[in-house]
Amino acid sequence: MSLFDSIMAGFALVGNFNAFLSLFIGIIIGVIGGAIPGISATMAVALALPFTFPMQPINGILLLLGVYKGGIFGGSIPAILIKTPGTPASSATILDGHPMAARGEAGRALGMALWASCTADLISNLSLILFAGWLASFALNFGPPEFFALMLFSLTIIAGVSGDSLLRGALSALLGLLLATIGLDLVYGTNRFTFGDPSLMGGLNFIAVLIGLFAIPEVINMVWHPTGHIGKVQSLGSKWVTFADYKRSFRSIVRGSFIGVFLGSIPGIGAAPAAFLSYSEARRKSPNKANFGKGEIEGVAASEAGNNGVAGATLIPLLALGVPGDVITAIIIGAFMVHGLQPGPMMFVMNVDIIYGLFIGLIFSSGLLLIVGSLAIRGFRPVADIPKRILMPCVLVLCIYGVFAVNNNIFDVGVMFVMGWVGFVMSRYHIPAAPFLIAFILGPLLEDNFRQAMLMSGGSPEILLRGPITWFFWALTVITVVAISRGTLNKAREPG
Amino acid sequence: MTFNKLGAACALGLGLLATTAMAEYPERPINMVIPYGAGGATDISARTIAEPLGTAVGKPLVMSNITGAGGAIGSVAVQNAKPDGYTMLFARVGSHTVNPAMKATLPYSLDDFRFVTVYEINPVACAVRPDSGITSMEDLIAKTESDGTTYSSSGVGSLLHLAAVYVLSEYGVENPLEKATHIPQKGGGAAATAVLNGTATFLCTNTSALASFVANGQLKPILVTTAEPVPGFDAPNATDVGKPALTQLVGWTGIAGPRELPDNVAAKWGEWMASAAGDQTFVDQMTARGSVINVMSPEDANAFIQKQYETFRALVDKLGMRIEG
Amino acid sequence: MNNRTLQVHLGIGACLVGLFLILYGIPNWVSSPSNVPKIILSPLFWPYTIAGLTGLVGLGLIVFGRGADDDDIPVNDPIEDPGTGVVRLAAMAVLMMVTFWAMPRIGMVWASMGAFAALAFLVRTRHPKIALTCAVLVPLVLYAFFAHVASVAIPQGNYVRLP
Repeated sequence: MSLFDSIMAGFALVGNFNAFLSLFIGIIIGVIGGAIPGISATMAVALALPFTFPMQPINGILLLLGVYKGGIFGGSIPAILIKTPGTPASSATILDGHPMAARGEAGRALGMALWASCTADLISNLSLILFAGWLASFALNFGPPEFFALMLFSLTIIAGVSGDSLLRGALSALLGLLLATIGLDLVYGTNRFTFGDPSLMGGLNFIAVLIGLFAIPEVINMVWHPTGHIGKVQSLGSKWVTFADYKRSFRSIVRGSFIGVFLGSIPGIGAAPAAFLSYSEARRKSPNKANFGKGEIEGVAASEAGNNGVAGATLIPLLALGVPGDVITAIIIGAFMVHGLQPGPMMFVMNVDIIYGLFIGLIFSSGLLLIVGSLAIRGFRPVADIPKRILMPCVLVLCIYGVFAVNNNIFDVGVMFVMGWVGFVMSRYHIPAAPFLIAFILGPLLEDNFRQAMLMSGGSPEILLRGPITWFFWALTVITVVAISRGTLNKAREPG
Repeated sequence: MTFNKLGAACALGLGLLATTAMAEYPERPINMVIPYGAGGATDISARTIAEPLGTAVGKPLVMSNITGAGGAIGSVAVQNAKPDGYTMLFARVGSHTVNPAMKATLPYSLDDFRFVTVYEINPVACAVRPDSGITSMEDLIAKTESDGTTYSSSGVGSLLHLAAVYVLSEYGVENPLEKATHIPQKGGGAAATAVLNGTATFLCTNTSALASFVANGQLKPILVTTAEPVPGFDAPNATDVGKPALTQLVGWTGIAGPRELPDNVAAKWGEWMASAAGDQTFVDQMTARGSVINVMSPEDANAFIQKQYETFRALVDKLGMRIEG
Repeated sequence: MNNRTLQVHLGIGACLVGLFLILYGIPNWVSSPSNVPKIILSPLFWPYTIAGLTGLVGLGLIVFGRGADDDDIPVNDPIEDPGTGVVRLAAMAVLMMVTFWAMPRIGMVWASMGAFAALAFLVRTRHPKIALTCAVLVPLVLYAFFAHVASVAIPQGNYVRLP
């Protein structure tokens, strides 16, 4: 099928009202979900997932992508208004967005966040369309040894999400790896840590673990300290973002978008590090360096460009390799599988119409985000005013229903509760949750591919270095590990 | 009114209520458990028959995918459900003959279920990559005996796992567990990809899972296990190669309830299945995927499943494949 | 608890977990067939690796933790009523257990209504009337949504069934 045929087939799939309606609804759900602290973009996607099961595959996936993009933007609304990031990705937005809100310029900050988000989204989507096919062309060369090398490299990303202590990040990752071993052994089918319970034989449900680790600790923390959140909600203010502001920040937005695209296309990094990297680059290059952190609009623009730049690019490894780039795409990959689509190289062969349908839908998503976002900024205030002590029980009940619906299994709700306590204890001990989750996803892939490679070679480790792809990822891994070690040692040597 | 009269009236009312409730099964939606992930062969089969079946039943059928552990989790959910006919299971070859034959650790046995029907048979085909240099089963056997081969499956205790061993054993390979290496994958899609990218030499799986790859020329079929040829699969069948025992190696989908399922409920299902399977759209959709529609009575279904189980169990015991841990 | 004690506590905990897994957990709870040809293919290999690494990270935490400054800065914000805080946490745990136990028995809708109301009062909401209204409405709306829009078989329990 020629490119033109593929594009036409894609148009035939999305060229109807339902596809755009799904995308539109998705963005609305995402913006609202992202804007409610406690329902991050991740949870919004997880909760929307069961509703897409009965839909057409393309509509369902577009809806989820809409939720994803909307959620990443939506997270900036509470970050700016009440200093609580709606999603982890918008943590960097707080740095300058909240001081602006405190000055009564919340409207201007939100407007800039929206424009930067949409610009970055567009750049990210175009990068996906241009590079995904190129990546997919050699993706069939990925056998178990190549995947093992890639997963090993992806695990080094844990260093980037560990926060202030690499060792605590490593501990968190090891905990994730350990819990991922629960279930039936891949090669021999024997039980590992199942304690004779049939429900544990399938392993811990990923979404139950995810929601348990991120949303439930918020609820438990509220129980521990019911008045901890009490603060003030600032008014929107009358000042609105101007084109001059946008022009001034444009370089930072574009730079941030490409940082997002680059980090997003590498599996396992996610949007929060991209936002921080983009922010620090913008600060380094800006003439207003001193104003950063005190309410500099360029800082808001850079952070939001960084995290939205990730949103389209994470689909590159998802579509080309079948590898989830972050937590959210790990859930979206589930939606593909529900519809019998196997993301990965074969999708470009078997379901090329769906791929192009997604591309076309994505291009329109940036424009839809701009519309929904402007409405949301104006209309959001009443929702943000829900008292947090009413909101948290809502979150709990939502989580119960959402987690049950994933696999129609009450046991998963129990897993979510238990993981909630694990997450709460982890937060009390300042163990970051992100490495846990990345390891929980990557651990089984790492082990399975290692053992499959060993089965292929009859136990000889040479197969792990069988070709240029493996050499490339091994070299990357070594370089990253050396860089991390040097950075850690330098930090340790610094006085004070 | 005295208490006696009141009591009698209540008892009568309850009795009436009870009988009407029994007579009116089903009076609410029936929960149909699919023990495999959405998009898989079982799921597609179940959702296809749900259309005409729902019309025959007259109440909605709520499809619930409960996945995990090779179909065991969904099966356990039905095993432990109330035997009132409102929780039924789409049982599959993997969860109900291969798994019980291979896994000593399985939390259920065949006796824990009452089958009301088997409605679909899927032939099994073995396939290799066209550029592998293997063009027939004889080539594959020769290569297995000399260099050793590898085969992929959707996991330990899946039909794909047992099918490859079964075929090699039928072709006279003395010790298929040592000559051929099993490379398990996670799921049927990954198993096909493993052969496509050269990780494994061959796989034996349902024709429906292979059809698109065979049609695209990405995989070459070298054997189908039915007595009849399968449309679209240019490969010898069990009759051609003179190995009738291979016809035992087929996939199937059936419907089962918990063991204590009452007779009247089972009888109802017999009626519904008979009328649902007559639906022409359903038959057309299923045969287009290579399935054979053959609605069995509960007795036939039980005999069929028992025979397949015993065949598989004999092979597993002969080769020492049973998983004890 | 300052940063130094936190590191050391975590380190000791990680070492204990690693040791426990290697000496007791993995031999007892991970089964492996007797005829595994190569040790790296054994189902035990990966858990042992993880357990060993956990122990190493624990040692690292202890060593670096002891090197850290012994300052007085607490790592968590203090709350005014730690005593009742612990009681509330215990109540939350009980609430979760009761909800989990009740869901298959009385149905998810009724169980989550109870959980909503109980949690709202546990966090001492200032709007008890709104909380009670939401406690009834939110599970009902979610039920309608999941059961009738997404066709999920929400557990109904043995007593009062919803349409």
